[in-house]
Amino acid sequence: MGLLDIITGKYVDPTHFKSVHEGGNIITTTVDAVVNWGRKSSIWPFPFGTACCAIEFMAFTGSHYDVARFGSEVLRFSPRQADLLLVAGTVVDKMGPILKTIYDQMPEPKWVISMGVCACSGGFYRSYHTMQGIDEIIPVDVYVPGCPPTPEALLAALMKIQERIQKGEQSKSAQGAHRVGARAEGSNDRRERRHIWADDDAARAAQGLEPRGRIHFKLTEERDESGSGSHHA
Amino acid sequence: MPSMQSLGRELALAKPAYRILSEKFGEKVTSVTDYRGDLAITVDRAAWREAALTLRDHPELDYKLFLDLCGVDYLTDESRPDRFEVALHVYSVTHKHHIRLKTSLPERNPVCETLTGVYKGANWFEREAFDLYGIVFSGHPNLTRILTHDDFVGHPMRKDFPTGKRFVTKKPKEWLLHVPKGSEHLVLNVGPSHPAMHGTFRVQVLLDGETIKDSAAEIGYLHRNFEKMAEERTYWQIIPYTDRLNYCSAFINGHGWALAVEKLLGVAAPARAEAIRVILSEFSRIMDHLVCISTNVVDLGAITPFFVVFRAREEIYDLLDSVCGARLTVSYVRIGGLAQDVPDDFEARCRKTLEWIREVSEQMENLLTRNAIFANRFKDVGVMSKDDALSWGWVGPCLRGSGIGYDIRKDHPYSGYDQYDFDVPVGTVGDCYDRYLVRVEEMKQSARIIEQALAKLPKGDVITHDRKVALPPKSEVYSNIESLMNHFKLVYDGILAAPGEVYGYVEGANGELGYYIVSDGKKHPARVKVRPPCYNIYQAYPEMIKGTMIADAVAMIGGLNVVAGELDR
Repeated sequence: MGLLDIITGKYVDPTHFKSVHEGGNIITTTVDAVVNWGRKSSIWPFPFGTACCAIEFMAFTGSHYDVARFGSEVLRFSPRQADLLLVAGTVVDKMGPILKTIYDQMPEPKWVISMGVCACSGGFYRSYHTMQGIDEIIPVDVYVPGCPPTPEALLAALMKIQERIQKGEQSKSAQGAHRVGARAEGSNDRRERRHIWADDDAARAAQGLEPRGRIHFKLTEERDESGSGSHHA
Repeated sequence: MPSMQSLGRELALAKPAYRILSEKFGEKVTSVTDYRGDLAITVDRAAWREAALTLRDHPELDYKLFLDLCGVDYLTDESRPDRFEVALHVYSVTHKHHIRLKTSLPERNPVCETLTGVYKGANWFEREAFDLYGIVFSGHPNLTRILTHDDFVGHPMRKDFPTGKRFVTKKPKEWLLHVPKGSEHLVLNVGPSHPAMHGTFRVQVLLDGETIKDSAAEIGYLHRNFEKMAEERTYWQIIPYTDRLNYCSAFINGHGWALAVEKLLGVAAPARAEAIRVILSEFSRIMDHLVCISTNVVDLGAITPFFVVFRAREEIYDLLDSVCGARLTVSYVRIGGLAQDVPDDFEARCRKTLEWIREVSEQMENLLTRNAIFANRFKDVGVMSKDDALSWGWVGPCLRGSGIGYDIRKDHPYSGYDQYDFDVPVGTVGDCYDRYLVRVEEMKQSARIIEQALAKLPKGDVITHDRKVALPPKSEVYSNIESLMNHFKLVYDGILAAPGEVYGYVEGANGELGYYIVSDGKKHPARVKVRPPCYNIYQAYPEMIKGTMIADAVAMIGGLNVVAGELDR
């Protein structure tokens, strides 16, 4: 008798499977394995489509190539709801800060695919306004070469990310920051960011201020007599 | 070899534009040339604005359609006293004639009068000339940078600006609009990364409820310097760059580039190459219109047509793939012909693809044309009048939607379009629904053209035998020394065009796609200016959406089919 392994999708002899205790019909597994399996099968991409690659990206989501087979058809146009940033197309210097902001707004764990040579290295636009690869400002997990890459190549990149999620790997930091461009500023290092926040909070507390970003909610009873809400105050 | 000498007085007076301008301005009209059929008149900068006004308003001239305005830097040209030049391209729909009006400006004080009051479309073009060349237009309402970012230093298209010099910006421009203090209106940024903006455009709107009180647009988020790169490439090497202008219909851009360079060189492609170019251009046009319509209705919330339509697009991709090995960016044209002949089953493939297209467009029409929700969202939304459309410089399906039947394939046939029988659809109201209908009808007409072209596809070579333009076949290169040397010289030196300037244009999927090429006799062009149809169309967008609802603004943008690669270059 075999048991369905939720991770590989195959029937396995439970006694050979690491996280299953011998001798019973009960599967035990690690929380990490289940969480990673769930994450890998429901990657929600943020399509940061700027140029020609975005057209091939549309083919990738369209009926023929059908990314829904991989559980990634839910495109999110809000970075806060996405876990994969799919940079499709040339990023120029003017677009740089916008890309950086969107990356910073995404919740972790987050992954980045750089689609096409322009996003990878600037491509054949080696000129005064073109960023020579988005890894000047954000870390990239999978580079997809091609101008533009075929949808199959992009599917392969997605599967690569799935593999890495399954293995429990985490994304990395910006590589090309030494090139001309914005500083990487430890963009992915949570620990460093936490220190910065803690320092900031302490500095503000010393001045008698509250931590940055605290939101005060007012109760609705505080209406004045004229009936207009006080929430504008 | 013909050169750019001034026309003789008698010949010049035969041109009505020159006769009228010289009567009015006398000595201020400094020269007139007619190179490769392009009439170009140079005036003194004191008469610049008045000359443009005369071109527009004189009944015999009637150059009402604004096409392009750009700067040119003649730093290395010793024969010219002045460094800069401003070139204006306008078109007369009634007389079916293009004209170029130029004025030269000294390096020390490159100032000329603005044309913003003459042509509405001049506004962004002048900002672009200021941004890239530092030419100042006195009286311009908002002369600021448009393509590069605000932290940029210098004017990058000047010849003495190093190509690779970059400046880093850390923040996007925050305010495009002037919002009075204490205003209760909501400021909303749509774009540059927004699902309703097809690509990287940005519009900032001031909302009162859902009504747009004020709006301003910003572009340049995909300014990847096609024109600067073109100045360092040979005429061939520019072909792959043109594919990335309007990437929805990449083949047409290459077709236009090849025609413009062929015009500059005075060579012609063989009949078979021209017929194949026409077939693939029309397939590209269909593809572009399919993308435009399907993504437009995705904005309205209807995703089914998108999935339906993309099946046909995949078929066209397969066709292009079989012809040249690339799906999207084809790089299939060459100066003087095509890279190689089409495969044997080309005709059968084309017919099969046409069947797919018919089936899919029928399904699409069934889903959309009489759909009450779709019609309500589109009818009487984004109405553009004829005069405004001309003044903004609208072209293509958008201009035809407004009721002006200007189609280059009909009015200035190229590549043998005069052999084919087809109609030019024209709208009556000028709203989004008309633009949609025009596109649907154009796809049918394109299919007609393809069928006719397939029926009489000529046999023969696909590239010219002119060995100053086209490479010799590989079999000859490997077998005899003359061809080997010829190959070497052509690859090493490139095509050498005689000094001169031309404006080549084709009917792109979005309208008149023009290339203004200035050659100084060297292997690289001295200046390449793309006249992108989207630039004029998108420029009108912030004005169109004022006073409408935000949902209507979203419905409008898709139908204008603005493509960022072409807009920002």
